[in-house]
Amino acid sequence: MALAKDPFNVIIGGVGGQGNVLASQILGQMLVARGYVITIGETYGASQRGGAVMSHLRLSEKAQFSPLIPEGRCDLLVSLEPVEALRIIEFYGHPGVMTLINTRPIFPMDVISGNASYPEISKVISKIQSLSRKTWAINATEIALQMGDPIFSNMAMLGALSATNTLPVDRRGFEETIKELLPLHKLSDNLNAFDEGSKAVQGDCEGRLNGLKQDI
Amino acid sequence: MNRGLKGLESKVLDRGQCAACGACLSLCPYLRSWRGRAVKLHDCDLSEGRCFSFCPRSEVDLDALHRSVFGKGYEDIETGPVRRVVMAKAPALEFRDKAQNGGVVSALMAMAIDEGRIQAAILTERDAELLPQGRIAETKEEVLTCAGSSYVTGYTLEALNRGPWQGEERIGVVGLPCQVLALARMKASPLEKRTPVDRVDLVVGLFCTWALDYRPFAGFLKKRFGNTPIHKLDITPPPDRLLHVTVGNEVHQIPLDEIRGFIRPSCQVCLDMTSELSDLSVGTVEGEDGWNTVIVRTERGEDLLRQAESKGVLETRAYPEDKWAHLKAASILKKQRGLKALKDVQDKYVTLPQKAIDSLMKEVAP
Amino acid sequence: MSLVAQDAPGKTILLMGNEAIARGALEAGVKVCAAYPGNPSSEIIGSLSSAAEAMDLHVEWSVNEKVAMEVVAAASFAGLRGLCSMKQNGLNVAADFLLNLNLSGTQGGLVVVVADDPGGISSTNEEDSRIFAKIGDLPLLEPATFQEAKDMTKWAFSLSEDLGLPVMVRSVTRVSHARGNVRLDKLPRPIAQARFDISRPRLAFPPFPSHKTLHQKLERAKIFAESSPYNFYRGPEKPELLLITSGSGWMYSLEAVINLGVQDRVGLLKLGTTWPLPANLVLEHLKQAETIVFVEEVDPFLENNVKELFAQHCMDLGLKRFYGKASGTIPSAGEITPEIVTSALQKMLNVRYQPRPEDYASKAHEAASELVPARALGFCAGCPHRATYWAVKTALALDGREGFVLGDIGCYGLGMGPSGFYQMKTIHAMGSGAGLAAGFGQLGRFGLTQPVLAVCGDSTFYHAAMPALVNARYNGSHFVLLLLDNSATAMTGFQPHPGTGRTATGKEAPVLDLKVICESLGAIVQLTDPFDLAATTDAMLKFLQDSEGVKVLILKRECALVRSKKQKKLFEVEVDQERCLGETCGCNRLCTRVFKCPGLYWDRTTGKACIDEAICTGCGVCAEICPASAIQKEVA
Repeated sequence: MALAKDPFNVIIGGVGGQGNVLASQILGQMLVARGYVITIGETYGASQRGGAVMSHLRLSEKAQFSPLIPEGRCDLLVSLEPVEALRIIEFYGHPGVMTLINTRPIFPMDVISGNASYPEISKVISKIQSLSRKTWAINATEIALQMGDPIFSNMAMLGALSATNTLPVDRRGFEETIKELLPLHKLSDNLNAFDEGSKAVQGDCEGRLNGLKQDI
Repeated sequence: MNRGLKGLESKVLDRGQCAACGACLSLCPYLRSWRGRAVKLHDCDLSEGRCFSFCPRSEVDLDALHRSVFGKGYEDIETGPVRRVVMAKAPALEFRDKAQNGGVVSALMAMAIDEGRIQAAILTERDAELLPQGRIAETKEEVLTCAGSSYVTGYTLEALNRGPWQGEERIGVVGLPCQVLALARMKASPLEKRTPVDRVDLVVGLFCTWALDYRPFAGFLKKRFGNTPIHKLDITPPPDRLLHVTVGNEVHQIPLDEIRGFIRPSCQVCLDMTSELSDLSVGTVEGEDGWNTVIVRTERGEDLLRQAESKGVLETRAYPEDKWAHLKAASILKKQRGLKALKDVQDKYVTLPQKAIDSLMKEVAP
Repeated sequence: MSLVAQDAPGKTILLMGNEAIARGALEAGVKVCAAYPGNPSSEIIGSLSSAAEAMDLHVEWSVNEKVAMEVVAAASFAGLRGLCSMKQNGLNVAADFLLNLNLSGTQGGLVVVVADDPGGISSTNEEDSRIFAKIGDLPLLEPATFQEAKDMTKWAFSLSEDLGLPVMVRSVTRVSHARGNVRLDKLPRPIAQARFDISRPRLAFPPFPSHKTLHQKLERAKIFAESSPYNFYRGPEKPELLLITSGSGWMYSLEAVINLGVQDRVGLLKLGTTWPLPANLVLEHLKQAETIVFVEEVDPFLENNVKELFAQHCMDLGLKRFYGKASGTIPSAGEITPEIVTSALQKMLNVRYQPRPEDYASKAHEAASELVPARALGFCAGCPHRATYWAVKTALALDGREGFVLGDIGCYGLGMGPSGFYQMKTIHAMGSGAGLAAGFGQLGRFGLTQPVLAVCGDSTFYHAAMPALVNARYNGSHFVLLLLDNSATAMTGFQPHPGTGRTATGKEAPVLDLKVICESLGAIVQLTDPFDLAATTDAMLKFLQDSEGVKVLILKRECALVRSKKQKKLFEVEVDQERCLGETCGCNRLCTRVFKCPGLYWDRTTGKACIDEAICTGCGVCAEICPASAIQKEVA
């Protein structure tokens, strides 16, 4: 699959502790194994304690690009949390961005303390849609909770990502990478989560196209 | 205007007007007492709350309050409603030993418990350092440990809020005028109570001219007498104007002027010397050391006194006219002082009928 | 199998900058590695420890960075190759040793890796460590890519041996924590034979002759710099604008030039050896341009050094215009970003550039302002520090004398914010809380009536707080030390320390018990569980009443994240919706509005508090604070 553009820029965003770092590492490794030149930049450390986090992933066939995606240059956004997607799109989005969203919110301190309200999810998703070329929305956390641990939501999102066909990634590549990076006994659970995420996107039928016809 | 904790802070606490009655404490996690201080643990942003609603120094409509307790407005302006007034004392030595004067309060509360009128009494206990605290007493022995005045206010009503309570107890409370006022406010409050105040069946008020602020007064005594425990405090009537401090075996005398600086500011604006909102009120008798004045105000109070008389728990006598006149004059004088102190205050804590104010101010000061 | 110790020469894998540095050290045959955890450097020793057994290395988490450097220097003196790593603050701690080590010289290759945190994203300060290379007359290398991170580290060892000097490799967050393609080389397995040649003592003293020797070594380093492949130029022979850059600036500058389409106007001079400068190379390119801009972080290190070089040769070079931090073209504080570089080039070259349509940008901005709430940092659900600070807040309020907490570094450092109820009033360096307390605790004689408390973590205690405690006892200071023992160096990734009973490589280690140490120093010590709020508050109050001496309250409870990895919850927690008082008088949302554990949230539609099952870790502390006993906890 040829890259729609070079570099092709992906952001995996969410809240600290959701596992975006591991997800980006797995995704990056899968793509390196396919021969791409990959750079991944992270926000680490203190921001993990409940703060907003992002992994910037650059794909190229030619060169090593910087670990930070420039303004307005995100081509694919995988957001593990709804409002984080809007926060990221504000700076990095452009009319051709494709967005894959986990619909389960994580309330920031101001909201859980009752000092601010969290917006209606449907409103958030439709705003994201209006700012994207294509949008998929699934409840990856629910998938993970069905499996007994919210920690699997990031793997479900990777499965979802593969089903969108926006990147050259597939289940086999995922399996090989997981075997390399994680202990063996976690393999089947992670594959399970991956598969459920894939199914969820396929159920979403090609995502929701909006009217924008901008080229990426 | 905020009528929650913020209002309480700005109108009462930050202005130093707290009477230390304890009605606002331990209602919630935000306010509680610690070693003689009311402590705010966290901020509360409610626009309306029980702390403000119960406070005797926040927003008091005396006329309405009297109506809620007695069924008639603020009319008995001298000493509040009086059904009967007597001199009384408890013959039994155990009540008079540690107690103040005639030991009447302890005797009445002990009897009320013994006779099953109430299952618990909220009294004020002092520790060796004079720190007063509300205490729930369920037996005569426990009542006796709380006997005696200290002239220092403690957050007595906090014990009502804090418990622990089983849930069925009928309760009696002994309190100073500000505490009795707070109890009336608590009972009349339209807010959901969440305290056992509706099970308070007996309110015994004490006479009070003023009370001392614990921390500075305790500091003063510690400087004077070191760590030796204080056995008793007594303020002798005029013209002596002395504080008698019994330290160990010795009795020391301190001129009252030396301790006036420790009087709580909220006492300056108090309009009640005899705890007018009680079932019955107890105080000293001018010139009669071993006796108490007892003013009966309600049917409940009358019932209690009659039982005490018939059981010989109390011996009573008719109240001398001259002493009654003096008592009334003293009560009026305190009200005049309070009204004068309030004259220039913006946003007063208390309202009363103008007629009453005019009457009071007309009385000639003795 | 350790990612960095794969025996697969020629294979290209995705490595983090820190992992690439570790791999470079392994490819150089390093034998002894030591560090204290510090963002963004922790993964260097972290990944070396996973390779320790396979590669027969000694790898340790030392108690602080000075000791780590000393441990590695010993290896060097014994002819082995050693590596120590740290963040910028760690270099400050180790500086005294480093600035003697340069004079005493080294034997086996010794590499000091410093990973700076521009912008202080995970630090208390922002600092540029490169200046230490100049102060210490040490060679300085700055990798700009992940491949360079590996290759330059590997080279640094042989450079160090050629010169007899430690070599400083300086990385930044965006290199250390970013990942990229790295082609692996061979892994040697050298046979180590440690021997300290005592006929050649390692003495910094006497300083004057050794200082001269050091300068001679630096002159030799210049020769290496001139021929290094890590310094190169890309662009036209006579560029309109010469951009000189190093480290993270390289990739940003390259991409900015491409995005703006100014490859034929801008010459990029990328430097990998930034001290000493490859003078001839720099002068050669300075000759070809009149306008020069410097792209680097954090301080104008390159900028000032190049300007110094230029001043030396200005008669031959003519007039130039320099842009960078001094001119305000690049901001003087904070980390650099692609946007900073792009906008600087835009202005200087007068290029129009719009990454996306204006109307899209404003629509996106509008959506974000309307719908996206702020996300503040806070303690994790079930964090013992939240319970500790709750007890502190209560105890200090009851005590009523305006007591305060002097702070230190770690997760509990969040005590300065809303999550810790703003209890922490100072934060500086490792161990500074106890140090300041030793000072405040002397001020009673000058009228200070406020109780003095300091807070310090278990790992921080071993690092730097012990001398402060000794000082306090010795000089008669009075304060309460709250020692937060969560059995981990948590903020940096749960590394073990002398109290945990395990080493970096997982070996069993003696436990240096905190209570025993503090008692042996003569402090009055008590142990408490922060989850037991009542007992903890009482213990604090008791200590506060006693104004004499040093009291240590050890609050022992495992980090929530560590515990959740091992087993499930302590309790199943639920809010009884009937009993919950919610916003009414008597509660006013104490658990969500004031306590603010993310495991609880306020449901506006029902007007009740609820447990978020995806976040609650079942510590049960909220059940203790609920005034209505509505929060029920059941042993899991």
